[in-house]
Amino acid sequence: MIIELSLQLLLVILALLFIVLIGFMLYIFFQRQREVAFNKSRDLYLKDYSKLWYDYFFKNNEIFSVVLIPRGKPQVKAIEIIFSSYLKNITNEEITQKMKDFSNLYLKQFYEKDLMSKRWSIRMNALYRIAELQIDELLDACRKLEETNYSKEEFFQLLKIYSIFQPELFIQKIKVLNTHYAESEYRRLFVLLEEDVFIQFFEDFTSWPASIQFAVIDTAGAKRNMKYIDKLEQLLMNDNDEIKIRALKGLFEIGVIENIDPYIPFVTSDVWEVRLMIGKIFKYVPLAYTFPYLKQLLQDENWWVRNQAAKTIAEDRDGIEKLKEFITYSKDAYALEMAQEVITRKQGSR
Amino acid sequence: MIFLHYSMLFFGGVIVFYMLFVIVSYCTMFTIAMLDLRKRYRLDPSEYDDAHIDAFYSKPVSLLVPAYNEEIGVVDTVYSLLNLRYPQTEIIIINDGSTDSTLETVIKHFQMKPVNKIVRTNIPTKEVRQIYESEIYMNCILVDKVNGGKADALNVGINVSQYPYFCSIDGDSILDEKALLRVMKPIVLSDGEVVAAGGNIRIANGAKMKLGSIYDLQLPNNYLVIMQVIEYLRAFLMGRIALSKFNLVLIISGAFSVFSKKWAVEAGGYATNIIGEDMELVVNIHRLIKEKKTKKRIEFVPDPVCWTEAPNTLGVLRNQRRRWHQGMFESLWKHKKMTLNPRYGLIGLVSFPYFWLVECLGPIVELGGYIYIVIAFFLGQIYYEMAILLLLLFVIYGVIFSVASVLFEAWSMNSYPRKKDLIRMVLLALTEIFWYRPLTLLWRCEGLIRFVRKKSEWGNMKRVGIAEKEKSV
Repeated sequence: MIIELSLQLLLVILALLFIVLIGFMLYIFFQRQREVAFNKSRDLYLKDYSKLWYDYFFKNNEIFSVVLIPRGKPQVKAIEIIFSSYLKNITNEEITQKMKDFSNLYLKQFYEKDLMSKRWSIRMNALYRIAELQIDELLDACRKLEETNYSKEEFFQLLKIYSIFQPELFIQKIKVLNTHYAESEYRRLFVLLEEDVFIQFFEDFTSWPASIQFAVIDTAGAKRNMKYIDKLEQLLMNDNDEIKIRALKGLFEIGVIENIDPYIPFVTSDVWEVRLMIGKIFKYVPLAYTFPYLKQLLQDENWWVRNQAAKTIAEDRDGIEKLKEFITYSKDAYALEMAQEVITRKQGSR
Repeated sequence: MIFLHYSMLFFGGVIVFYMLFVIVSYCTMFTIAMLDLRKRYRLDPSEYDDAHIDAFYSKPVSLLVPAYNEEIGVVDTVYSLLNLRYPQTEIIIINDGSTDSTLETVIKHFQMKPVNKIVRTNIPTKEVRQIYESEIYMNCILVDKVNGGKADALNVGINVSQYPYFCSIDGDSILDEKALLRVMKPIVLSDGEVVAAGGNIRIANGAKMKLGSIYDLQLPNNYLVIMQVIEYLRAFLMGRIALSKFNLVLIISGAFSVFSKKWAVEAGGYATNIIGEDMELVVNIHRLIKEKKTKKRIEFVPDPVCWTEAPNTLGVLRNQRRRWHQGMFESLWKHKKMTLNPRYGLIGLVSFPYFWLVECLGPIVELGGYIYIVIAFFLGQIYYEMAILLLLLFVIYGVIFSVASVLFEAWSMNSYPRKKDLIRMVLLALTEIFWYRPLTLLWRCEGLIRFVRKKSEWGNMKRVGIAEKEKSV
């Protein structure tokens, strides 16, 4: 009896499942057809108007043609493709301004609607485009998004948008941040900041969470701006080893060492990564000043430090000679092995 | 007679309840995967990809390619790695004492020259004969070593590697150009909290390929291969996505996975005395995470794709499945103390019991179900109904889930855009329970028997190479 009932129930469930799956399959076919039509319309725009866009961007007297104004989503998609390819390959303020003006005039309404979508992915795509095409007229619409139940990813995009359009608001928001982002994400935000805004992060440096501190140091290095050398050198006094290592890495990236004195105490640091970075940084100073310290690092207990010291010595014009000389008098087997390897490598590559 | 009656009822009942349990588990995992993929539906991935192509936002990765008699596939694999959109990588090909011309092929193709290089022995391995560096690609290294198996070759790769993360790729697999960027995403975005990540493996048979890039994906003609395509989709939707959400993944495929070198070395590297070395490393790292009481995670990432060649004959497929199942048993058995052990958190309380019950013992129960149906058919009477009940459950378990996976993949990722291909896959999925399922069950049970009898020789997979295959289709 129970089995019979279960059988009937299962048969009903199975029949229902099959119907649902058949329905789903038909829906997929329908959706694919719509996609084909969408792509066709998008490709038609690309085919017909890519040349016009090129003329509008590059010919000075070219008048903007109204046919370029999008009439629907497929055309918006086509314009996104065109703009994105220019943005990725060309840095030209005039073109960027033209794109910005156009987007503010004719694309704004599409993205404004998308921002209100129930679908997370559509809102995210809109936020990407607002930042990429610099649609500053949508700043208020973006701020409205903050009143909704936004996700961590959306808020990151909002921060990015604020950092471009309203840096003060960005600093304000980041000070009261209650979500945690990865270091690489902070770097993405900081790298776009103007110098005067970015330098504010060095004030009250210790009040920031570790990931922001690390990202600030790394970004300062990546910006290769000599104005940050002082700031980074000050951080060498910090108690946190990771901050010291990163500050050294940042200074190495900037690549200008005017005075080696602040660095000498670190040759005997307890942390091997610090000694390694010193070995790297000394690349920017003539060997005559650094050889005694590099010789010490060449006999370090750590393989990486020895390796780096040997490489740094070998990079100097007289480096190979110095290493050969070192081999004649040193008794440190590991240091000798390293010196020998680097000499062989260097000579092999010549 | 009475004994037979009660035994039939008992076994029937056990199998029915087991099937219901598995169906409910799969339904739950399918729903989680569906919600996850639905959220990301049509999200433009290029924003992340374009930003993270810069070394400033990513972490350098050493790519390890162990190769044993892979003279046909290895060059394409290396090309696919050279094509990768990733800012900082080094490619380390490890020739594990091949008896064919793998070594010569690689030396000739990539103009490898011998170099003297000091290798730090983080993990003890078999002897390294020579290290070569490519004269045309700065970041390409070849290591020639004494044969010691795939795990040993990977360990050599870890020793030679200089970056903090390594990615293992089979010598016969092809990576999508953005695969590495995307598999590294959870690692980069978690500031290293994710210590290992695995990508999605897809079947490349039938794809058109040139110099390491797939440019057109068509469903192959071989039914056995299509069945495996469906099986891979199913495993991906009904398992890995959901398990990964709760840090419960025990398997990330050795064909394409990234590990933090520090954690892998601390876990002892790849175990050389076990068949499923990839699963073993994941379990060891999980164990280490729990023992150290840290919050590290292991994740499965659905969109980075690694293309691999699937066996196209029954014999080779049988070897592969036997080996996989035996490997899984070995690993679970070795770490049996973790099962239901609260010290290992959800891994011990959920993952291990799930793998024991569903993945390991599943084939025995299911095969028992098939045998039950046949016996019930001969015994007739009331057993008929029980047999039909079981059959219907098999249909839900085998057919409905497979068809749903195929359709859901078509909706969310659309890998096979041709209408004809989709219909072919759906129709073939309907036949699964009649031939493919029983066959794989048999082979998996064979794996279990081999585990019990401690047989551990490897089945050798005959390869024709992905690109080569295309010429013959």
